[in-house]
Amino acid sequence: MRRIIGGTVTLTLILSLVFLTGVPSSAQAVKNPDTFVLATIGDPETLDYAWAYDTASFEVIFNVYDTLIFYDGSRTDRFVPGLATQVPSVANGLISKDGRTYTFPIRQGVKFHDGTPLTPDDVAYSIRRFLWIDRAGGPSSLLLEPILGVTGTRDEKGNIKVTYSDLTRAVRVQGNNVVITLKEPFGPFLSIMAQWSYVVSRKWAAANGDWDGTRETMRKFNNPKKEDTAFFAKANGTGPFKLVRWDRAAREVVLERNDSYWRTPPKLKRVIIRTVEEAATRILMIKAGDADQIALSRRELPQVQGVEGVRIIDDLPQYLISPAVFFTFDIDPTSPHIGSGKLDGNGIPPDFFKDIHVRRAFAYSFDYAAFLRDAYRGKGVVPKGPIPPGMLGYNPRQEYYTYNKEKAIAEFREAWGGRVWTTGFKLTILYNAGNVPREIGARMLKENIEALNPKFKVDIRALPWPTYLAEMDAHKLPVFFIGWLADYPDPHNFAFHFLHSKGTFPFVQKYANPEMDKLVEQAKSEPDPKKREALYFKLVDMAYKDVPQLYLVSPVVFTVLRSWVKGYYYNPVHPGTYFYPISKG
Amino acid sequence: MTAYIARRLVLLPIVAFGVTLLIFILLQLLSPAMRAALFITDPRQLQALHEIIKTYQLDAPFHIQYWNWMKAVLTGNWGWSETARMPVLQAIKAFFPNTFELALLSFIPILLVGIWLGTLSAVHRDRIIDHVSRFFGISGYSLPTFIWGLFLLMLFYGHFRWFPPGRLSLEASLYVNSPEFRRFTGLLTVDALLNGQFWIFVDALRHLVLPVLTLTVHDTALLVRITRSSMLEVLRQDYVRTARSKGLAEPVVINKHARKNALIPVITLSSLLFVGLLGGVVITETVFEYPGIGRWGAAAALHLDIPAVAGFALFFATLTVLGNLVADVLYAYVDPRIRLR
Repeated sequence: MRRIIGGTVTLTLILSLVFLTGVPSSAQAVKNPDTFVLATIGDPETLDYAWAYDTASFEVIFNVYDTLIFYDGSRTDRFVPGLATQVPSVANGLISKDGRTYTFPIRQGVKFHDGTPLTPDDVAYSIRRFLWIDRAGGPSSLLLEPILGVTGTRDEKGNIKVTYSDLTRAVRVQGNNVVITLKEPFGPFLSIMAQWSYVVSRKWAAANGDWDGTRETMRKFNNPKKEDTAFFAKANGTGPFKLVRWDRAAREVVLERNDSYWRTPPKLKRVIIRTVEEAATRILMIKAGDADQIALSRRELPQVQGVEGVRIIDDLPQYLISPAVFFTFDIDPTSPHIGSGKLDGNGIPPDFFKDIHVRRAFAYSFDYAAFLRDAYRGKGVVPKGPIPPGMLGYNPRQEYYTYNKEKAIAEFREAWGGRVWTTGFKLTILYNAGNVPREIGARMLKENIEALNPKFKVDIRALPWPTYLAEMDAHKLPVFFIGWLADYPDPHNFAFHFLHSKGTFPFVQKYANPEMDKLVEQAKSEPDPKKREALYFKLVDMAYKDVPQLYLVSPVVFTVLRSWVKGYYYNPVHPGTYFYPISKG
Repeated sequence: MTAYIARRLVLLPIVAFGVTLLIFILLQLLSPAMRAALFITDPRQLQALHEIIKTYQLDAPFHIQYWNWMKAVLTGNWGWSETARMPVLQAIKAFFPNTFELALLSFIPILLVGIWLGTLSAVHRDRIIDHVSRFFGISGYSLPTFIWGLFLLMLFYGHFRWFPPGRLSLEASLYVNSPEFRRFTGLLTVDALLNGQFWIFVDALRHLVLPVLTLTVHDTALLVRITRSSMLEVLRQDYVRTARSKGLAEPVVINKHARKNALIPVITLSSLLFVGLLGGVVITETVFEYPGIGRWGAAAALHLDIPAVAGFALFFATLTVLGNLVADVLYAYVDPRIRLR
């Protein structure tokens, strides 16, 4: 009786929910015309430009601070001056002939939010601090590598191996310029600078307890705790908006227009970035006009499509490959995911994926087109290699794997001298829990492989992130799904981390191909863009032939805005919305 | 009585620390690499895993970790909460008043309506009022908070635009965070009145309507049922029959004699309900974007934010022990047959 009543009431309510969500929002006047409200899903980790590595943090940082050069509108291969008055090039002499020295003339008359003037000394300090802070798991290696030729400031034992002189020699003030000298020529350098060269005030940092830029005090500012840096929850930049407060209890960031901005000040008076975890609440907010932009997942998108007053901008490219499928070449024998650990029909041996026929068979067993259609509603591209579309080095004519049952069977028949086909195997495919597209992909792979031979037994399993992380690190995952978002818009970032033996993924996979390593290093330093492109084409083709990974999707993204938002533009490299050009009306 | 209370209070720190010890023991099941997941959230940070473990000493043996934590807690440092982006104590101070305000404003209607309806049901047993109240009781109790909360939000915010989610409207929030507004208790309704800003009081109340409504439905139903059965039990007693035969008016019999005795189990339940409201309204807080402590606690547990989980547990173990103590004292106060030894 109880159950019937409870069930009926629930059912009635669910039906009314359906009815109510169908009610459109009426046309309304612009709410809060000088304030932009963004409802998003994650809090910033820190507002420190040298500590942060997540998009939520940078969404604030890149509206409050400026870099030396900016990307030109929506382009990621062209730059315009920022706090530097010219973009260095060989033509204007600001890049030396040997490609190692970059000179940035610094703009004059720029003020920080506290009213003090910007000087070249602040620029040099900001970059040295970015290099020096080198917090574990942070982005400092992005500039440490090209500038000082090291991946970190500490060795395996934790001893410092970078000196103050290293920093001051590599990043120098020369009159009104800041001169940066690289270890070796590095093609992507300007790309990295456009994204990571934020400028802060040295005096402000020192006055607020952070590094004053001198040799005497530097030691304790290496690998500091997040909450100990002056820039954690306070900001003093040159950017279009000032930080009013980061209210971590209310989970909102409040920004205000910088009326003394060195370009024309923004039209918006105020920006509020609020964390709203519940998707249904965000959707209601944008329908009511209480939010001007919301974050949404593609699964939730249909709920705002066709709603009056809401505008959706779709098919926006990203430098992202997610997911890709990775094979581990030398699986830890204690892994719970390899069954018996032997090729006896009830497991796989730790070196199962060392046989290229196994990898090719897996490659032919996946239905890439169906996956794109079902898991992403067709919104994306199959990347054909580890370099995403739109980036230098992407070859639209590259051969790539498609779903082919006959070829899959043929490859399996040849694997391990025919024993795989006759004996069969058992293994588990893993993905991180909560990720629906990856779950779909794992399921598709499992079903297609099992359909080839009744002796093939494939399980799929979701692991919570902490377990996934730990088992990746311990090389226990035979086949796993994960993705990569670009650090900067250059193919080296993908080529290195997917294919070079010291890159992130080959390290987890225990994959090492010396030929690939050589090619990755060669392509990194090649100054001629045409020759560089040819080298990356070669690399992608090698990845096709050696099959260390399967590249499933480069998804496109979308933005959900109120129609009264004007001036919004998208750049794949932007960590979030650039509020500078935006107005409402 | 005083000796009893004193004895119970002495047990308090033992219970509280016992709970946290249990949590640390459970956390032993997590390898250092798993604990690093709090800091490694992106594949781009994978290669830093081992350095993170070293930096945050995640591989220190359990007893050292517990000892360090306890030493710090005793000196007032409850550690840093990654999920809250602030020290644990500061997080408790920031979030708890919000939840307390919500719980208090929900508890009063739960208590009043629950007892009133429950009594009414018992007195007019098997009549219409009884059936209606039992129907609403069962549906309210069996309905998932999530469905009910979202439904209310869609109806009263999505459709009518009367009651928005969040704590305050934009204008009110800007004023509250400006230097003109002084915080006294952390409860916005009270502070608004103390600041003489009646419009903020109204604004805060407006944002509380839906969360309170969501919370009251479930627990009122529970209280109605308990009150009803307890009342029925009491109404059967001989002394009630005696009171009636003495010629006392029915309202006097009910209110003066029966109800007080019927309240005994209700008191016990209510105090547990209140403590539960204080710590466990995660779903309501999430749906209505309400910055409470339950939401933080759940996030901390999900992300393995160990200092936050331990601090949260310590805080709530203390609250629960105190809540039980209050219930026991009230119990003894109401029922003269009970002697606290």
